[in-house]
Amino acid sequence: MELQQNAGEFQKLGLTIVGLSYDTPAILHDFAERKGIHFPLLSDPDSKVIRQLGILNEEVPKDSPVFGIPYPGTYIVDEKGVIVAKYFEDDFKQRYTAADILVQRYGVMPESGKTEVQGKQLSAVAYASNSIVRTGQRIALVLDLTLKPKMHVYAPGVEGYIPIDWTMNDSEAWTTHDVAYPKPEILFLPAIEEKVPVYKDTFRLTRDITIGPDAKVKPALNAEGKFTVEGTLRYQACDDRLCYIPQVLKLTWSFQYEGFDRQRVPEALQRKAR
Amino acid sequence: MTKRPFALITFAFAAFAGIHTGPEIGAKMPDFQALDQDGKARTLTSLLGPKGAIVVVYRSADW
Repeated sequence: MELQQNAGEFQKLGLTIVGLSYDTPAILHDFAERKGIHFPLLSDPDSKVIRQLGILNEEVPKDSPVFGIPYPGTYIVDEKGVIVAKYFEDDFKQRYTAADILVQRYGVMPESGKTEVQGKQLSAVAYASNSIVRTGQRIALVLDLTLKPKMHVYAPGVEGYIPIDWTMNDSEAWTTHDVAYPKPEILFLPAIEEKVPVYKDTFRLTRDITIGPDAKVKPALNAEGKFTVEGTLRYQACDDRLCYIPQVLKLTWSFQYEGFDRQRVPEALQRKAR
Repeated sequence: MTKRPFALITFAFAAFAGIHTGPEIGAKMPDFQALDQDGKARTLTSLLGPKGAIVVVYRSADW
């Protein structure tokens, strides 16, 4: 389970992991054993806590066997129990991965799966929060960019120059979210008496993607069950004397795709309509 | 296919918008009480780490 795989990172941050669902303790016990889960999975079979939180999915008919499910999501609470962040998606087939939260909120980077691309004035290291993905998961793509000494590129919002621009190829296998740009430096150009927003040295761009429906990802898979996400980075680098020809770098991220987990608890333990 | 009737039912509900996300950022999380997978009674307060907790609410561990 993705959450358990990242348990060590949350522990380093001083955060415990707590799961909550409407399953019985017996179902959760079976699930935890199968998946090797060591954090508490809380049982809310009558959806009392789910109601207390106000996240009961009321669109589910009361006579449905799945009545009682919540709108799924994640809260981060501080040591006093105060909510400091929450992650919910409009489409509840989609969810933020734990690794996405680690990257986006805590700047904790995954250790594996880096790709380095060398441009003329800039080098890019591309990696992703997750290397194994499932349908509906919202994950983070990361670009660590390093400019050659004395060079800068322009930040979005600049006028009269070409800003750095990260685009993603269109595909039904994923949807793309906006880029998170760091705060730029303001550079004063004495020759033309202009102030411009720029990035220098090393900086990081991140953006989330959501893995598409199973039927759309499957056709994109190769023989090993992997698929590639592609994009481009466009930029124009300048130093204090001149600007260079705009460049386009091709970016790729490779993912192992995992299908649905169809294993269930023994029949006798399964939830019945109530 | 026959093993996942629940998922298919819920997929049909996804067409409706307007999800609820519960207490807002800055609010205190209710100190709920529940049994864990070992049948042990837990409260949110008793589970908080030195910096707090990540509380993941999901639909089911079994469908």
